[in-house]
Amino acid sequence: MMKKPLQTKKNSKFTRKQLIILIVCITTGFIIGYSYKLTKNHENRNNSYVEQEESYREDLIHQQERNKELAEELRDLQERLRDYERSFAKDEDKYEHLLEEAEKLRLMLGKIPSQGPGVQVTLNDNEYDPNSTNPNEYIVHESHVFSVINELKISGAESISINGQRLKSNSYIRCNGPVITIDGKHYPAPFVIEAVGDSKTLISSLKIVGGVFDQLLSDNIVVTIEEKNLIQMDSISDEA
Amino acid sequence: MWLPLLGLILGLSLGVLTDIQIPAIYENYLSIAVLAALDTLFGGIRANLQQVYDDKVFVSGFFFNIALAAGLAFLGVHLGVDLYLAAIFAFGVRLFQNIAVIRRILISKWEERHIKKDENTV
Repeated sequence: MMKKPLQTKKNSKFTRKQLIILIVCITTGFIIGYSYKLTKNHENRNNSYVEQEESYREDLIHQQERNKELAEELRDLQERLRDYERSFAKDEDKYEHLLEEAEKLRLMLGKIPSQGPGVQVTLNDNEYDPNSTNPNEYIVHESHVFSVINELKISGAESISINGQRLKSNSYIRCNGPVITIDGKHYPAPFVIEAVGDSKTLISSLKIVGGVFDQLLSDNIVVTIEEKNLIQMDSISDEA
Repeated sequence: MWLPLLGLILGLSLGVLTDIQIPAIYENYLSIAVLAALDTLFGGIRANLQQVYDDKVFVSGFFFNIALAAGLAFLGVHLGVDLYLAAIFAFGVRLFQNIAVIRRILISKWEERHIKKDENTV
């Protein structure tokens, strides 16, 4: 494999040998150094990648923790909301009752405008009867109005007005000769009594046998009962 | 005697200081080239110690081995076979063998000198 080293020209061979060794050594060193440097660069790059990955992972973990916190908060809030709803549900019946009652009271007081189906009762004096000597026998008295209003209230009328004047809880009606006075305002016949409420109930209670309707007829009063789809009454504060 | 060491240091500093970038695929070849260079270097030292050193064999072996190793690695990459392992194995074994031979020669030489010294003293 190896040739015998030439003994002749030893001097020149020696320098040439040295030169070759130098070149080989330099090349080897270069390769080793370059390889070392490359590996180091690679490691650095890897390290930077790893660091980046690490930071991303930390970010991710952070976000996940935040997510968890928020989810917990959400759960908390939902729980609270459910509590509220539960308490609501408990109190709902009460509230509804209160609300209905308040509404009824307001209607009764006339604080809010009232509208809806209802009836219109018109009471008019009968025609003059020359045979009769007592005119009281054929004119409308406040007692007739009272009975109608009473009947209407009993049968659940929300609000009642006479000739457009809505009745309050403290309204008063007085007989004043040929006219009646309602809250200081005079109204002559005919008296148009309007009531908002369930029209069927109202009418049937008015027309009950031996009831108000029959009484009025027997008192020679012209009574007309009309069923209305929509009756509108302003609130009293508007009128005042 | 100091010339090889000087050359090695010079080459090392050159290699560290150069700023050439090569694609990552070729870094495998470089590692094999390192092995080949080291193998040839130790082979040369052994040959020198065994008095069978030859310039042409040394230089041609140096560059041919590097080229062969790189070529093998290249072929391996393109064939999907890890042929560079063969080169690493071969060079590694030879490296160890060379170093072992060098060690033995050095030890025997050292013993010879020792015996001579003893003879001289005696």
